[in-house]
Order: sequence, then structure tokens, then C-alpha cells
Amino acid sequence: MTFAYLDPGSGSMMAQAAVAGVAGAAVAVKVGWRRVSSSLRKGKKQLATGEVQLGEK
Amino acid sequence: MNDASPVAAASEPVEAEPASFRDAASRVFYRDGEVLRGLDERAAADFEALTATSFYRRLVTDRKVVGTERAGPETSGGPWKLVLRHERIPFVSYPYEWPFSMLADAAELHLEILLDALTEGMTLKDGSAFNVQWRGCRPVFIDVGSFEQNPDGGPWAGYRQFCQTFLYPLFLQAHKGVPFQAWLRGSTEGLPGKHLRLLMTVRDLARPGVLKHLLLHAAIASRVPGRAQAVQAELRNAGFSTEISQALVRNLLKLVRRLKHPAGRSLWADYRRTCTYTDQDRQEKEGFVRQAATAAPVQLAWDLGCNDGYYTRVVAEHAKYVVALDSDEAVIDGLYRSLRDEGTATILPLVMDLADPSPGLGWRGTERRSLGDRGRPGLVLCLALVHHLAITANIPLKAVLDWLSSLDARVVIEFATPSDPMVQQLLGNKPPAQHDDYREDVFERLVEVSFAIERRVALPSGTRIMYQAVPRA
Repeated sequence: MTFAYLDPGSGSMMAQAAVAGVAGAAVAVKVGWRRVSSSLRKGKKQLATGEVQLGEK
Repeated sequence: MNDASPVAAASEPVEAEPASFRDAASRVFYRDGEVLRGLDERAAADFEALTATSFYRRLVTDRKVVGTERAGPETSGGPWKLVLRHERIPFVSYPYEWPFSMLADAAELHLEILLDALTEGMTLKDGSAFNVQWRGCRPVFIDVGSFEQNPDGGPWAGYRQFCQTFLYPLFLQAHKGVPFQAWLRGSTEGLPGKHLRLLMTVRDLARPGVLKHLLLHAAIASRVPGRAQAVQAELRNAGFSTEISQALVRNLLKLVRRLKHPAGRSLWADYRRTCTYTDQDRQEKEGFVRQAATAAPVQLAWDLGCNDGYYTRVVAEHAKYVVALDSDEAVIDGLYRSLRDEGTATILPLVMDLADPSPGLGWRGTERRSLGDRGRPGLVLCLALVHHLAITANIPLKAVLDWLSSLDARVVIEFATPSDPMVQQLLGNKPPAQHDDYREDVFERLVEVSFAIERRVALPSGTRIMYQAVPRA
């Protein structure tokens, strides 16, 4: 599904999950966790190849 | 070439609806006095899916969605896969003209429709308050092009727009006591959450909807990087199903049903009880209005400064449709709720300051029409209004009458003489010689300039004069 013409706002969609009850909150937490762990993995990879310091972007 | 032209080879003149341009898949246009909607390949497929659902058929029977039929073969062709013909809404109005309860009822209809759609594999592309119009006091969903197939579930794209155009204006009034119309008129994309949340205090955390749909929403929304498409895919992959969407919509429905118009007396709510009319005055006035309403068939009547709608109802017995305008939101809200409970479909009450009526707004000032561009009335009631415009709003009598005659309709004007207690009260707020020209003879002379007076009756109490007149050619 593409969004027809309206920009729904990425943040508003995440927020929906958070406020749509327990099941929704679980989804939001899952997405949040996946994002955190994927950025941690990226950071580790960069450290291993010695390309860049692990730190705040 | 004007590529907004909706039909490639038109034999009759075609006019695009100025507010229907954002969704390229579905555009509204007018031809031969008909309201038509062109759908492209994708939108046509969505429409076919829609007509196969049982909820859509129910909405059509209940008249909760605008009447829609396929236009005959002579109107297809051009860039559209399918052209639909819509029922005409008697008088277009906008959310910033609705009182609290109308916006709340429109929100409820929007959510009910969305919930029904979700249970049958469809959804709405957006969540705008402009998706709803009115037939009298019954809300009607008009944006048939907003329905689309929803096979994979996922978050609702219209949530933010729903919050900004429906929920936040209702919050502003229900929780802070501020009527939302002025802010919404100034900001037709709706009230931004990031601004409204700044007005909330710790006490408001406990108020319905504030924590979840305003504060949490704003807090999360500002912290999520990434494209909307990507976030949507992530959410879907993490299990954001249709069930979750339904849970959200049910939650919003419960919330909207809980929001209440703040209690409080307005200046006009007690008007009919405390004003200075005697019973004989009221009877004569009612008879005068009734006679004017039956002088000729009236398709559309305007009641300017309708107050509690007493005379609006009199006119509605004879006119096809009456638009009742008043600047007092509380009074219009009360009038709407009475009419709604009676099931009236021929009176539309709106909040409107006649000294500053709705202008053209939006893109090129034409997306939302000005009051004067929504259809000419055949009868205009101007009861107990002139003194407010002339004295309180300082609009010269001649200017008021010029405007009334420009409406090109039979008018009923009630003039309150300088000795009238209400006029005395208004004059009391002004320096002594400010309104020396506010006199019966001056007024009548000015009326004769732009109107031919058909009838003139002084009410028994002696301080009010009724005029029935038609504009001079």
C-alpha cells in the first residue's frame, strides 16, 4: 500500500501503535527495539573495520 | 494547456472543483449542474471493491454517505477509468463554521465509517474533517474517493489529520473552554499537536484523550526519523494488524463520545426569555415572517442572526432549505442539538460573524468558498440584527443595506428604533453623538434607495418596525 497523496507523518504512525492498546504498544516496542539493535549492530561493524569511532551521531 | 482539465474532449463546459486537486487518483468536477468524480485505474478498482462490501450498501441506505451512481457512458472517456455522479449537498459548510457538537458528530460518523471499512478489508486514505458535509442536521460522508483497499493492514494514514482537524479543535473547547472556530479558520490543515500541547497543564493530563492522543502522540512523533513508507513497512512487519487499527478507532470513538461542550451561559441563550418582546409583538412578528416566506417559493433562505432559531423554524415550514447563521457558538450549538434530536434535514445552523463572514481560503483563496459563493438565497431574514451591525460593529447603515441588497433576494428586516431598550443599551456604550444618524426616517430613506418596500408594519410595542422588501433592479 502506498500513501495516496497524504503524508501521514512517520511519527504519527509510530504513535498510533503506542496508543492503540496493549497489542499496539507491543508492536511499537518491537519496532523500537529493532531500530536500537540495528543501529548498535551498525556501530559494532564500523568499530570492527576500524572505519569510525563508535559514538553519538 | 490547462492540465487540470478533467475531461479530454468535453462538449459542455467543465469546471474543476477548486478543493479537489490533492489526490490525483480522484478528482471532482462539475458539468451541466452535475457533481461528477473522475477515478483513475486504481481508484476505480477501489470503488468496485467498495460497492461489493455490505457496509457501503448500509451507508447508502442510511444516507450516511453521499449519494453516488455511475455516470452514463457519455460522461466517461478522457483520462478517467470511471466517472461517478454525486448527489448535491444543499449548502456547503466548513468545520470552522460548525459548533462543537457538529464537529463531534462529524468525527463520530467518520470513525464509525472507518471502523466498518476496516472490518471488510478497506480503509480511508485520510482523516480530514472536510470529508464530512451536512444535510440539515445530519452528517454525510462525501469523500468516496478516500476509500481504498487495505489487504495488508498497517497503521492508518489519516490519524494525524484526524487529530489535527477533528480531535484537537474539540480538545481546545472541551478541555480549555476556548471555541475552536477562529483558530481552525486560520489554520485549515488543523491545529498542530506541537502547538496545542503547549497549552496543556498537569491538570489536563487526566482529561479524556490528552495523554494518549496529544502528548504521547506529539512526543513520539517528534522522535521518529525515517520516511513514512519505511516506518509503515516496519510496523507491518512487526505485526501491526487490522485488529490493532480497529482497537485504535474504537478508542477514538469512545473518546469522541465522551467529549462535552463546556457548560456556560452565553449572552443569547437566555435572549428569548429576557428580551423585551411582548407576546403581541412576537405574534405579529411571526405572522409577518410567515407571510414573507409564502410570498413566493423559496429554495434557499438565510436567517441572519438566527439566535435560538424560532423564526428559522417558521421559514423552514415553507422554504426548501434554511441556513441559520449566528456569531454566538453556544446558541448555535444548542440550536443544532435541538434540530438534530428532532431529525431535521432542512435547517443548517452555522457559526458566522456577519461583520466578518467566512472568506475564501486555502490555495488561491478558492479552495474553501466565501459565504457569498455558496449559492444565492431567495429569502433573507435580518431580524434584530441591523442595530448590532450599525452600532456595535460600527458599520454604516447604508453599507449594511448595500450588502443586503447585493444578496439579490427578498428581505425581511426588523429595525429597532432609538427608543428600543436594546438599542439604548448598545448606544450607552458609545460617545453621545456617535450614532445620530441611527434614526427611523434615515433608515427608511436608505431602504428605499436600494429596495422596493412591499410591506411595512410597526410592531405593537412601538419600538420595532418590520419591512418586507425586494432589491431594485
